[in-house]
Amino acid sequence: MTNQQETETLYNKSFWYADWSFPIFVALLSAGIFAGTHMYYQYHIGAFNDVAIVAMLEAGLQGAGYGAAAAFGASFLFARILEGSLVGILDIGGSLQTGLGIGVPALLLGAGITAPLESFVLSLATGGILGIVIGYVIIGIRKFTVGQSNSTFGADIMMGAGNASGRFLGPLIVISAASASIPIGIGSIIGAAIFYAWKKPVAGGAILGAMLFGAFFPISLD
Amino acid sequence: MELIEIIIKSIIIGGLVGFGVGAGAARMFHAPKVQGMGAFRTLGELNACAGDAASHFSFGLGFFFNAWASSVGAGAFTQDVDHRIIPNWAAAILMRKGKRPEDTLHNPKKMAIAGAVVGVVVVTFLNSTASAIPESLQAIAIKVLVPAANLLINPVMPVIFWLAALDAGKRSGLWGTIFGGAAHLIMGNAVPGIVLGILIGKGVDDGGWSKVTKTLLTSVILLFVLSAFFRGFDIQMIRSFNLEVPGWIIDLHKLIGFEVK
Repeated sequence: MTNQQETETLYNKSFWYADWSFPIFVALLSAGIFAGTHMYYQYHIGAFNDVAIVAMLEAGLQGAGYGAAAAFGASFLFARILEGSLVGILDIGGSLQTGLGIGVPALLLGAGITAPLESFVLSLATGGILGIVIGYVIIGIRKFTVGQSNSTFGADIMMGAGNASGRFLGPLIVISAASASIPIGIGSIIGAAIFYAWKKPVAGGAILGAMLFGAFFPISLD
Repeated sequence: MELIEIIIKSIIIGGLVGFGVGAGAARMFHAPKVQGMGAFRTLGELNACAGDAASHFSFGLGFFFNAWASSVGAGAFTQDVDHRIIPNWAAAILMRKGKRPEDTLHNPKKMAIAGAVVGVVVVTFLNSTASAIPESLQAIAIKVLVPAANLLINPVMPVIFWLAALDAGKRSGLWGTIFGGAAHLIMGNAVPGIVLGILIGKGVDDGGWSKVTKTLLTSVILLFVLSAFFRGFDIQMIRSFNLEVPGWIIDLHKLIGFEVK
């Protein structure tokens, strides 16, 4: 057998490379991510997403409605499943972390279903089952469309925009901290400056600086 | 007691996530023949450090501090735990003795196992340290973060995505504007609509009005119609134009179980 043929057989036969095993990997990852949202629901820690997106779910939990989180998450899931099967790489940020980890819980909570988020075991099961479904949908679309389309459906543009908006968070946190109180504002400015000098993301330094100064100069929390 | 519960849950979550991320990342190197999962930028970054364990490690470390700050502050890991920390640290472990990326980073089995180990350690560390922070401090972080995040969600992100759509060509700009505006009306945020608009615009740019793009447009319109209906947007719209809402629409809403005033 030539080298090429060997690779082909490896791709078709081996568990680690085959199409049929893909849903299993998605299911394991999804179970973990969905359980991460359970951790956030239960203990306010451990959600597998960026602060900006988790804040949408938090807004819902605080009673402002789950619409934004549900719509944002669900459309990301939809778009990424389609894109993932066409280009051969599923973007776990949009599909699983945002779609499954934030969108689906928001849909469930919006409909008044809390059990999958309250119970750890149920959250693992819900994530796992949905992950298998997502995996099979992707393999299914792949079977139908591979070779039909060479488009990436503008994935590069969306990724560029996504990264660009992430950069806004650092300055926004400093502004928000400076509006909260003077000590907290000063703390976040120092933190942001240090992180910038260390070539680390400014947002992290701004949060830590604000918290450090907030510990000594607490503000009233209504 | 709660801490033990958190640690046990974190170990399970970290193992599952790390296993999936590791295998998915290695499979990306064999795409499009093999279906991978991760992200284009993850693939690019892994390639950028390829072959050097120290680069992989320090790249992950930079994002680890950010993830730590975000976990402690707001309970949010950041997407970088899955996108950057687990794949890069798993690669660093596998390559520590100067092994070739082809035998390590590109091998889903090895990456899955290394990823699971890294996942357990990272998730448990982040969750246990975050839960050790006093609640009053977390409250301050939320007080600072939530307004910043709200600004980011609206209007910063919609504007950035919108401008990206306008810059991406006539079709993306047009569909992005239509669906973006409609999404803000119906869902309260323009981003999902703009994303779908770019998807359709670029899809048609690259492949014309094929079966795939037609199906896409139909499903997007369906998505909008359904979410408008379930949020009672149809009735609000008719009333905003000072028109009488036909009885059958109200009956239809009642039938589905969404009572309308």
